[in-house]
Amino acid sequence: MFTACGMVSGQNQYLTRDAVRPHPGLEVSRPIQMENGVTAGTCSVYHDQTYSNASQPAAVNNVSNPLKPMPLPVPPPALKLGQEGFKKVCRTEEDSPCPFPGLASGVLEMRVKEGSKIRNLMGFAMARMQGEMGVSGGGVSGGGLRQVVFTGSGRAVTKTITCAEIMKRKVGSLHQLTKLRYKVVKEVWESSEGGTSEMTVHRTVPSISILLSKDPLDPQEPGYQPPETLSALWEEREGVKSASQTACKRPLGPLPYSSFPHCKRVCLGEGVSVNPPH
Amino acid sequence: MTDPRNPGMSSIPQTAPVHTDSTSPAVEMDPVEYTLRKRLPRKLPKRRNDVYVNMKTDFRAQLARCQKLLEGGGHREICVHGLGLAINRAINIALQLQAGSQGVLQLAANTSTVELVDDLEPEDPDEAGEPMTRTRNNSAIHIKVFYPDPQ
Repeated sequence: MFTACGMVSGQNQYLTRDAVRPHPGLEVSRPIQMENGVTAGTCSVYHDQTYSNASQPAAVNNVSNPLKPMPLPVPPPALKLGQEGFKKVCRTEEDSPCPFPGLASGVLEMRVKEGSKIRNLMGFAMARMQGEMGVSGGGVSGGGLRQVVFTGSGRAVTKTITCAEIMKRKVGSLHQLTKLRYKVVKEVWESSEGGTSEMTVHRTVPSISILLSKDPLDPQEPGYQPPETLSALWEEREGVKSASQTACKRPLGPLPYSSFPHCKRVCLGEGVSVNPPH
Repeated sequence: MTDPRNPGMSSIPQTAPVHTDSTSPAVEMDPVEYTLRKRLPRKLPKRRNDVYVNMKTDFRAQLARCQKLLEGGGHREICVHGLGLAINRAINIALQLQAGSQGVLQLAANTSTVELVDDLEPEDPDEAGEPMTRTRNNSAIHIKVFYPDPQ
């Protein structure tokens, strides 16, 4: 919808940064999430698959050129793509089902990308919500659209939240529903030398979807936020938290969090019986 | 608050770069006139099951702390907070916790706006110009990670 090319180039930087930074603790089996949004586990698994796929024809083709560097067999290969002379030729986000089931089909969806300008996004969305354009869409009445969805992934998440926050402030009395999930992004990489070998990388990036609605939403749904909680959010949450606090019967003392890593095992041992996760 | 737009301030961009912490050394915006000093964000509640995510601590350490709270600490729910750049990391932590729990854990995310205050201090006290403050907004996320009730 907006500036797709800017997004792609942004992703490239993303990768080179990955390549530069060493990830010492990376293992295939560990589901540790790298801070930049690459799930090491899934990424490597996918990777191994696609590697074997890609190297098959490459091996046949490259008999005459045995010096050609083959994709490295060790995980994590994804983090080194940029250095190995691979170029990204294509990036597609896999279609994922709408995070808000039961939403009318014509709802305005703002796809926030890394390079999107907030003024462009907000100018468009505000005009639609305030009804100056009077277009057909989901739940249109005299006063413009009733609902809008902001979605963004990866580095655009912050911008997505900012857009939603600005709209809440400007429009007022909007009900909000926030959903978080992983989004799978498929990237096709091509070797820059020869271009015979190609591989597909599946990355998972965190994404956020924020539904803003003039009509009431289900308050029981996780991630629901009633209107005008800008300042009341903390008071409300404090109530929730104090309830849970009493439930686990722990003193509220100023326990030094920083000391936790040292007593990790001990805590695990004594704590498991208190509240077994089911 | 104080209107920051006086002639000497024209070089300061409207949106200061996103920083989740304000302990960083003073950023020089206008080398002649002012020093921009970011104050700490407003003090927010800190309970045993609150985790404030920052960009300084190692990611895995913060993830491990959340896991410990949920698995060993006996908490039915924790709250993961992220401000500005740390939003991404907070979301990552929450999604990792959920993925690691085989889908048992649920997430409920709320967003908010946090008002941040910057101090503008004149470099040279003899020069004209007085200390000023300016406020700006930054987005924040609060993710409740919880075991749903059995019923």
